[in-house]
Amino acid sequence: MTVTAPSLPRILGPIRPRPRGRETRLLAIVSITILVGSVSLELAKHVADPGESKGLSPANPLHLGVYLGLIWLAHLALILSGRRVDQILLPATSMLGGISLLLMERLPQTAVVQEVGPWKLGLGDIQLAWLILSFSLATALAVTVRSDRWLRLYKYTWAAAGVALLVATYVFGDDINGQRLSLSIGPISGQPAELLKVILVVFLAGYLSEYRPLLVEESTTVGPIKLPPVPFLAPMVAMWAIALGLVVVQRDLGAALLFFTVFLSLLYAATARVGYVVLGVVLFLAGSFVMYRLVGTVQTRVDIWLDPFKSPSGDGYQVIQALYAFARGGLIGTGLGAGLPTVNGNLPIPAVHTDFPLAALGEELGLVGVMAILGLFLVVVERGLRIAASAADDFRALLAAGLALVIGTQAMIIAAGNLKLIPLTGITLPFVSYGGSSLLVNGIIVGLLLALSDRGVEPPPPRPRGRLARWTGRVTRLETPAAGRAPLPPGASSGAVETRP
Amino acid sequence: MSALPARRPQPLGRSIGQVGLALIVAFAGIALGAGYWQVIRSPDLSRAPDNPAVIAAARNVVRGAITDRDGKTLASNKRNPDTGEPYRVYANRAFNTVIGYSSTDFGTAGLERSWNAELTGVSARDPIGDLLRKFRSDPYDPQKLKLGISSALQRAAVEGLGDDRGAVVMLDPTTGEILALASTPTYDTNAIANPKTSRDAFAATLDDASHPLVTRATQGQYVPGSVFKIVTAIAGLGSGRITPNTTFPNQAKAERDGLLVKGFRIHEHPGVPAETFDLNEATEWSSNIWYALAGMRTGGDNLSSFAGRMGFGAPLDFDLPTAKSQVTTGDGSAPGGFTDEVELANASYGQARTLVTPLHMALVASTVANGGILMKPHLVIATTGRDGTRTIANEQLSVVISPEDAAAIAEAMRRAVESPVGRQFTTGADVPGISVAGKSGTAELGGSGEPHSWFIGFAPVDHPRIAIAVIVERGGRGGARAAPLAGDLMALFFKEFGS
Repeated sequence: MTVTAPSLPRILGPIRPRPRGRETRLLAIVSITILVGSVSLELAKHVADPGESKGLSPANPLHLGVYLGLIWLAHLALILSGRRVDQILLPATSMLGGISLLLMERLPQTAVVQEVGPWKLGLGDIQLAWLILSFSLATALAVTVRSDRWLRLYKYTWAAAGVALLVATYVFGDDINGQRLSLSIGPISGQPAELLKVILVVFLAGYLSEYRPLLVEESTTVGPIKLPPVPFLAPMVAMWAIALGLVVVQRDLGAALLFFTVFLSLLYAATARVGYVVLGVVLFLAGSFVMYRLVGTVQTRVDIWLDPFKSPSGDGYQVIQALYAFARGGLIGTGLGAGLPTVNGNLPIPAVHTDFPLAALGEELGLVGVMAILGLFLVVVERGLRIAASAADDFRALLAAGLALVIGTQAMIIAAGNLKLIPLTGITLPFVSYGGSSLLVNGIIVGLLLALSDRGVEPPPPRPRGRLARWTGRVTRLETPAAGRAPLPPGASSGAVETRP
Repeated sequence: MSALPARRPQPLGRSIGQVGLALIVAFAGIALGAGYWQVIRSPDLSRAPDNPAVIAAARNVVRGAITDRDGKTLASNKRNPDTGEPYRVYANRAFNTVIGYSSTDFGTAGLERSWNAELTGVSARDPIGDLLRKFRSDPYDPQKLKLGISSALQRAAVEGLGDDRGAVVMLDPTTGEILALASTPTYDTNAIANPKTSRDAFAATLDDASHPLVTRATQGQYVPGSVFKIVTAIAGLGSGRITPNTTFPNQAKAERDGLLVKGFRIHEHPGVPAETFDLNEATEWSSNIWYALAGMRTGGDNLSSFAGRMGFGAPLDFDLPTAKSQVTTGDGSAPGGFTDEVELANASYGQARTLVTPLHMALVASTVANGGILMKPHLVIATTGRDGTRTIANEQLSVVISPEDAAAIAEAMRRAVESPVGRQFTTGADVPGISVAGKSGTAELGGSGEPHSWFIGFAPVDHPRIAIAVIVERGGRGGARAAPLAGDLMALFFKEFGS
């Protein structure tokens, strides 16, 4: 065995710039679009109140300059790194981030106010700060991550860390609106469930890639349904339990739905067995039904979803106001800054910046804008799945697919919730919603996807042999033939396949 | 090595592609959902009275005026000298149960509510216009509303009802245009709209024991009594179970007093001869027993379904909120939702659990008048905005019965007003020089006190131009209050609009 011990990622290689023409062109389009949006925002202010506005100018030139500068710096960093990473992801996500910045500038700045030293920061300022951190993180990961071992080899450690985060949130977390989602460490507070998404995908990618041959091959037949071998049902049940636990303990329906959907999608991607998905959906429906009966929050959400107009000024208010916003937008929207009429100085939709950005954008950009935003998410997912499909081994494929699916599924759940297609859950619209934890984790996801997209990344290590011996001997025999599938590192002998008795 | 697996896992690319496809399908579903709310449901949600855009506009926008069919202003605006905000002024108290009010503090009612979006100009019930409007610097375009109501008829109807509680509905049976929609008691909408007096006036109106905020013409649910026999005739002839020549003995020989249905005895009014009647005679005499037998032969399912064709069983789609009219509560096990034969027999002459709104009974008369075709009733006949006037098109609601069946019922109703027998029950409904068809009703409410006085009818019988329904609460027999008032109002119609 000549496999070297896992090393820390090399920070920077020698600088050999590589032009990224497609990314340059796309970023130019993104920049112009955001600039036009910003000017249109200022013009809307001008129409409403000519005295207060500069007329033909960006709404907040400083914000716009900083954001676009940041994006172009990220582009420059990728060029200088010389890596062959994906050229579509950065433009697509920076477009979403730009839309988010415009929206947060457009909403009343007093929605969120933080005082940092001498400065009083409003909604737009804070969101810009998080966007800067998020894209910096993405770029840093894209440039520096040249090995996946630190993710691959410690999947159980990651899983334990994830569960620890969850427990810590429950024990030490802050109660907000009856949900216990955020954890404060000194002045910084965050929502660990966001980070849990990435940890979950890392663990699942590791677990599924290792046991994939088994999950595909073996089955226990129960009536007409083929189940995986009983020991391997455990993670499925564990995921189910974690999802239900999130609902019961944290009242976090959105995260539960997201985790379970991503889990089932990855399980299907790894095994191509419809039976698993059917089983998962049945488990999910059974769990949902019990939760509906037992947990008040779930019942309220579902009842609101079924008929929000039953109490239009009570429980149904937020959902109805969102639908009104979509309706006011119509096909082409009211224009940025010209929608969202205030009543007694209040915005029509409560929590619009975190839970309903799509409704606000649907009103001001219309159906056309909603389609464009959905399209951008599909582009991100498509790039992620493409990276997955051409990955060098199963772990990377499942990791990339999982990361892309987290973004796509999350966008799907909250968009469908906003549009009253499913019950509303309070998760964020990736890159668009206000919120630091969400933006940072999305930055991590994009950074990892970019790094994974580099075909020149360090080759995957050989499949560790004999690990399955912990299970039954029968299992060990099954594992063997698949072991040769992973490309072997130069040092490993191709004759190293051994069969244990 | 015999236990080697027979197949290897397929490459990941394919199943990843399938997952991607599933996600694309889900996104397509979301896009369709967005299209549903933003295009299909956009017009009605944008007009909802509690939509913030509508509320915000209502505060500052000078609402469009409302006029009667001759262009006479019924609702206009003044400005509050203190705040500069506009408020509504109403010209005539006779209209206020139709027009309602618009108040900064207490919201809207009546047409001011249902047409709020057009009056404030946030929407024009015109998708293309709404789209173009967004490109303008001043997006609000308050619309003027023109009602089909004739001020002369409306005032006369309210004056005719006087101090009684009741309602009058008059409409053109060929178009569905409402010419008068009176409900009494009325209330003071000017006081509610005026910011200086609104608080006290609104509280006083809410406390009023006569419930003036309930528009009786559209929201009052009344026992119909004998006017409902026209619904039974429509169902009987329409289903073919009854013809104009179908006869029933008014007093079966075997039973000495009335008609025994499964142990329940149906009585005739005093004075009706014990003979064998056909449709005309039964309608002239307003025979309960004939109509009970006709209803039982028609069957509960036919009675319910023909009433359903005229919109019974659900609130009507109308400019104002409507209560639903019903033949039965519909939860029984017998055909048509009746509990049993007894209920069907009693419903056939307008008792049991039948409940109707005055508007709905006017539509029943209108259906017979218009050759069996029911036109959609409407109050607003045109809207005028920046881009000119849009006429509200007449709409056919349903074909209820054939022209021949309608003509047979019309003839029976004509005899009920004009024949020597019929005249006894509908005194005063006739109009000199014009042939009138109609049916009176006396709705027994049980207990003591006067019954509700009903009349429905139309004129002229050959080419009907006006259909009418009148109810006077506790007004006595149909011939006592409702029929004479209907006669006066129809006479006024022909005076105003030419005979």
